[in-house]
Amino acid sequence: MNGTPRGLNRTLLGAFGAVLIAAGGAAAWAAASKEFARDLTSAGTLVWGSVQENLAAGRIGGTGISWWTAAVLAVFILVAVLLVCWMAAQGTGRSNQLAHQEGEMGDTTVDTAVAAEAIKTALARNPQVLSTSVQSWKTRSTAGGTGLKVTVQARKGASPAEVGSAVEHLVDDLDRLLGTQLPVLLRIKAGTRTRFARTDRVA
Amino acid sequence: MKNTDAADPHLIRRLARRETHSSRAALSIAVAALLLVATVWLAMELVLSATGNAALLMPPAELARRTASLATSTIPGALMGAGLALGLLGLAMLAAALLPGTKSRHIVRNGRSAVVVDSEVLAAAVSRTARTAARLAPEQVTSSVGRKRIDVEVRPGSGLDVDTDAIRKAVEREVSGYGLRRPLAVGVSTGTRGTVGA
Repeated sequence: MNGTPRGLNRTLLGAFGAVLIAAGGAAAWAAASKEFARDLTSAGTLVWGSVQENLAAGRIGGTGISWWTAAVLAVFILVAVLLVCWMAAQGTGRSNQLAHQEGEMGDTTVDTAVAAEAIKTALARNPQVLSTSVQSWKTRSTAGGTGLKVTVQARKGASPAEVGSAVEHLVDDLDRLLGTQLPVLLRIKAGTRTRFARTDRVA
Repeated sequence: MKNTDAADPHLIRRLARRETHSSRAALSIAVAALLLVATVWLAMELVLSATGNAALLMPPAELARRTASLATSTIPGALMGAGLALGLLGLAMLAAALLPGTKSRHIVRNGRSAVVVDSEVLAAAVSRTARTAARLAPEQVTSSVGRKRIDVEVRPGSGLDVDTDAIRKAVEREVSGYGLRRPLAVGVSTGTRGTVGA
């Protein structure tokens, strides 16, 4: 439901994994075969030699610093910024607005807290439910752009069908109240409270 | 404003799929953090050497020279070990990228919302059904819910018998009422050891 870039995660992890496998394979092969190790070192020395020539050729004025050094530094900084962006993109997309409508009299905004309080209060009376949390997320594919995620921690042994239909009634009420249908994700989960709370033996 | 496509089956399927599969967010953050540390270190070494300061660990020129001759200047055993470790790490990351990363949750068929139930919740509900059908104490029934099947183990008191067929029917009736998208086969077994004093 959230904006975690799952495709990007998998692509980058796969690419870095492939690079590591290649490097590890080369290292292991170099350890096993003296000839390959010599080839690697001579190729590496050759590359480093040409890099040094370029460094010397690209001096900035009278300083000992090369243009190449500055360019590499810029690339490092760019990579660091991209890495921070990648980290920051995980779990994004949370919103605290459920619905937004612009009219002639002004704009109307419905906060997520409205739905959250209504759903929590209604489910607090339900003996099958230990706790409820409600979040809203920006979804990409819908016109309204907001989706509602309801997470219900069920009592041990509670029927998922009964918990599900209880929440479904609330969602229907919410649809009527808002006059619009929001995409809803309901997760019925077990947690530490489920494990330690007593079983409802009457159920 | 009125988004009538909230009950769009494609959207519901996408929401349910995202909730039942790992996003690889934790691994991504760990990998990005490690790479970030390495990149920042390299950038700092570069700046320090360009400004003529002492290196933190190793100046970039020496690092490059050592990397170039790494294959011949390292003990083969250490090189082999490091190579294998790197390869395994890479394999784990590639596996994370390619494997589906399914979580132990089940999707409930629903026309309005995407509904996802933890397998643990299903197992607890199945245990409750089984023990009600067999009139056993809670600790005499254990259930586990996998991706394709439910296994119920009942341990009746010593010398007593339970009707496993009746239990299976009760559990099947209960589970079919959940409307799971992937139907689960039910297996009921009695434990080999009886329970005393239950």
